[in-house]
Amino acid sequence: MRYTALCIILLLRRIPIASRIKVELIDTLKETVTKVVQHAGSLKNCKYADIRLGIHETKYANAEDGKAKGMGEDASISFGIRVLAGEMSAWGYYGQSIGEGETNPKSIHKVLTLGIKKAYARAVANANKKAEFKSLAPSLTAVSLARIDICNDIINAVYDEDPRNVSLKDILTICTKISGDMRSICKDVQYAHINVHTGINRELFCSTEGSCIDQSYTLTQGMVSVVAQKPGGIPEVCYDYVGDLRGWEVLKGKNVYKQSFGDFALLRTRETLELTEAEFLPATTEPVVVVTNPHFNALLAHEIVGHPTEADRVLKLETAYAGRSWLFRDFQDNELGKQIASPLLTAYSDPSIHGYGHFKYDMEGTPGKRVNLIENGILRGFMNGREYAAILGHPPNGSMRATKPHYVPIVRMTNTIFANGNKNPEEIIAEVKEGYYIVNHRIPSISESRENFRISAQKVFRIENGKITKLYRQGGITADSKDFLMNIDAVGNDFEVFPIPNCGKGQPMQVMRVGNGGPTLRSMARLTGHQ
Amino acid sequence: MIGLETLRDCVRNGIDFVKKQKDVIDAEIFASWNEHITVRLNYTSDIPCNGVHEPKSTQFSGIGLFVVFKAGKEIKVGFGSVPNNVTTKGVVEAFQKARKNKVYDPDFKSIPVPMEKPVLENYHDPAVMDISDEAIVDLGWRGLKGALIEYNQKHFDKSIIVGGDITVIKQRMAIASTKGIDDFDESTVLTTNITSMIENERVKGTGWNTSTHLASFDTEEAGRASAESAIKTIGGERISSGTYNVVFGRQPVTDLFTNIVIPALSLSSVNSSDTPFMGKLGKKIASELLTVYDDGTIKGAVGSKKISCEGIPTGRTDIIHNGFLVGFLANNYLSRKLQNVFVSFPPRNGFRYHNGGRNHNIQPRICPTNVVIEGKDEVPSHSLLSKINDGIYIGRIWYTYPINGLAAGDFTSTIIADSYLVKGGKIDKPLKPNTVRINNNIADILNNIIAVSKDKKQTIVWGGEEVVLAPEIAVQGVKLDSISGFIS
Repeated sequence: MRYTALCIILLLRRIPIASRIKVELIDTLKETVTKVVQHAGSLKNCKYADIRLGIHETKYANAEDGKAKGMGEDASISFGIRVLAGEMSAWGYYGQSIGEGETNPKSIHKVLTLGIKKAYARAVANANKKAEFKSLAPSLTAVSLARIDICNDIINAVYDEDPRNVSLKDILTICTKISGDMRSICKDVQYAHINVHTGINRELFCSTEGSCIDQSYTLTQGMVSVVAQKPGGIPEVCYDYVGDLRGWEVLKGKNVYKQSFGDFALLRTRETLELTEAEFLPATTEPVVVVTNPHFNALLAHEIVGHPTEADRVLKLETAYAGRSWLFRDFQDNELGKQIASPLLTAYSDPSIHGYGHFKYDMEGTPGKRVNLIENGILRGFMNGREYAAILGHPPNGSMRATKPHYVPIVRMTNTIFANGNKNPEEIIAEVKEGYYIVNHRIPSISESRENFRISAQKVFRIENGKITKLYRQGGITADSKDFLMNIDAVGNDFEVFPIPNCGKGQPMQVMRVGNGGPTLRSMARLTGHQ
Repeated sequence: MIGLETLRDCVRNGIDFVKKQKDVIDAEIFASWNEHITVRLNYTSDIPCNGVHEPKSTQFSGIGLFVVFKAGKEIKVGFGSVPNNVTTKGVVEAFQKARKNKVYDPDFKSIPVPMEKPVLENYHDPAVMDISDEAIVDLGWRGLKGALIEYNQKHFDKSIIVGGDITVIKQRMAIASTKGIDDFDESTVLTTNITSMIENERVKGTGWNTSTHLASFDTEEAGRASAESAIKTIGGERISSGTYNVVFGRQPVTDLFTNIVIPALSLSSVNSSDTPFMGKLGKKIASELLTVYDDGTIKGAVGSKKISCEGIPTGRTDIIHNGFLVGFLANNYLSRKLQNVFVSFPPRNGFRYHNGGRNHNIQPRICPTNVVIEGKDEVPSHSLLSKINDGIYIGRIWYTYPINGLAAGDFTSTIIADSYLVKGGKIDKPLKPNTVRINNNIADILNNIIAVSKDKKQTIVWGGEEVVLAPEIAVQGVKLDSISGFIS
């Protein structure tokens, strides 16, 4: 049917410019979500079900070389349902986004009930097949979940300046001004791109066990991307982020760098320009002394401590994708309780501290807890979820998250970090006769079980007789993970947590924000350079 | 599920509406419905497990509207989108957002204009569109069965891991514009990637299958192949660091092209000056044996589409011909923006792929369809080994990244499975997985190609959107480093 002009004019008048999907909508839907999940619990052989319903309001803009490229304001609502059902209980899952017209309690009840039906049917079909295959595959087991406290709680978002009150025009102006300023520093800046978004998220979690958790958080992030090149030279590329789970104040200086986003972007641009004049770092065939700064150690902690201590990797669920963990071959042969790092090194994962990995409850409704991963060099534990905690016989520590409500939660890092030490970083460098200072992370490539890494740095400096001397470009370090961790002989007192916004894991791949960091470290590694 | 007629009505009615707005110069309306189903496998013989860990799906639909507005003497452009409301009311709301979001972008030239006629028609599988929950679950268990039976028959029942997934993608879209584009597309994609291991032997094998139709989709064979490959590589040996002649199997070829070569051959990398091929158009960038093109019209290939998400019929875009750089993948925006810098490239690769679907709420970016790699004087696969004589056959690599940025061309990766030492032109012994890191520059790899196989297979890698019709490729002088000495 084609609409008449009159009909369209009427529609134009009736629809307000701003979307009607707001996070406050959750208040009107709690009762409905609770009812639907209770209904799921009454289905035959349904052992467990949970519903996550989330609303995401965001504003964004981006600009390139001082020219506006786009801006917008969006709000979305989506849900995900997990059902554990069948004689030999198995999972079934269903997720969907919802339109504005479906956000009244009656419509929500209908779409959630249909979702339960789909997830339940999949769980039952899966459980039946599991039972059928048991003789061929004896380790097939009914799912059991580690017990958690049932919680009813409301967590409010934290911000000084509400993202919802920031005008789109202001966001765009920041992007055009900063990217224009970056480009005009020097003719060798070939490309300057700025992307900013700020918003608020609210997610409701209700389970058949009686949990009802309503959590909100704000997120503001600015991304800078710059390419600089001397005539005839190889381009030098840098991208980096400022971000935190706070409001617009993040871009004004309330961030780990303690500087405005504009100053941060100009600093990165000047550093990139400086690198275009630097020599390429020569690679070494033998390990050398390296001092790695907190920004570099954020990615190092992420790759060689965080990922291999995720319980789903440990239990081989990521074998086909993100890989396994060299820390756990099987229940009899693993590194738990063994020395895997220098006694100077402690590492932990803690959602209670500030950073991109902060939350009170994970997406299974488990209170997030600090997990001591490495204590004085000894491997102590893994980040887990309820199912994996039950298999491992560990207490659940609340590390399950999904990028969006319609995705399945998987084990994710929280704020996963090297603990602070007690040595002044200047002193750590001053003690080095011959070595290299590895400054700010760039790109990682890690072995399948995280037993070896190569990570490039934004900058590498020579250290000679305790002094930082020559700057090199296109450098980085490579080492076997255990060797690097065991060789750490100094831990700084300059601990910081940095935002890592793009950790990819799962199938379909989910890109998650996590917090990573640590203090300055000193160890041994081979240098890598331009091939 | 939303039908094609609903999507077509929405975009056509939407164009009627937009044309009546006084400040509108041009507009393009995109509407889509997508379902992405994944059945994740996880079997571990020595750890309690689920076999099929979870059958899951996400579904999303909506409208994306791009509008060119008159704004005094300037033109401004705006984009607005609305989820799960494929109606004229949804179009009106998206239009209001586009008007509110409009900006002056001096690089914008025009929305796409109609070109050519589509090659593919009616190439999806209705049976996939209607697949039941039970059938989805069954696909997963069949994949697992293939691996387990192979292991049982070869008497392996301990330390077994079988992982991976079966993915079913259903996509429907319609697009209409004030420039005269009025078309639709409907596609179904089935893929499985299964990885299995005998962990105490430290061996891993890979099996995969792709199809557009359920009848020719064989998850059981993928499972069986993964187990067979793992068993074959028992007893692997380490190699010392050095420079080797190498045959890259289909998965490594796909990995290198998906993560390094194809991103560098996109106009988006040219736009950001982040490609090693900047200024190389018309110049030799690879061995004369290598030809590469993108072709979205190949029947039965899972990267094929009737039209792009800009309404442009898919087709063949030549990228490398006999070693010479002859083109870049393009969408409408960058093709027009950069047409004064380069010759204009046909904008056949503007897609809105996101979360496994053609997503209404993003604007088209440049995505490959089917990347076809061909060789001059192609040889049978078995002849590749004699081309390198002594060296390494690399069957699977992992975590391939442009470690110093794409423009530098440096990349690194580790060899994780399906690999062998080659001696006297024959497979000699298996290579121990996870003990070798590749450290090279992509320019060296492309220039040092010495042979390309005739046999090709549709191959995909984790996180990749494109399909590579991948041959095996022999390359001389590849730098390999021995790693992970502490692993016994």
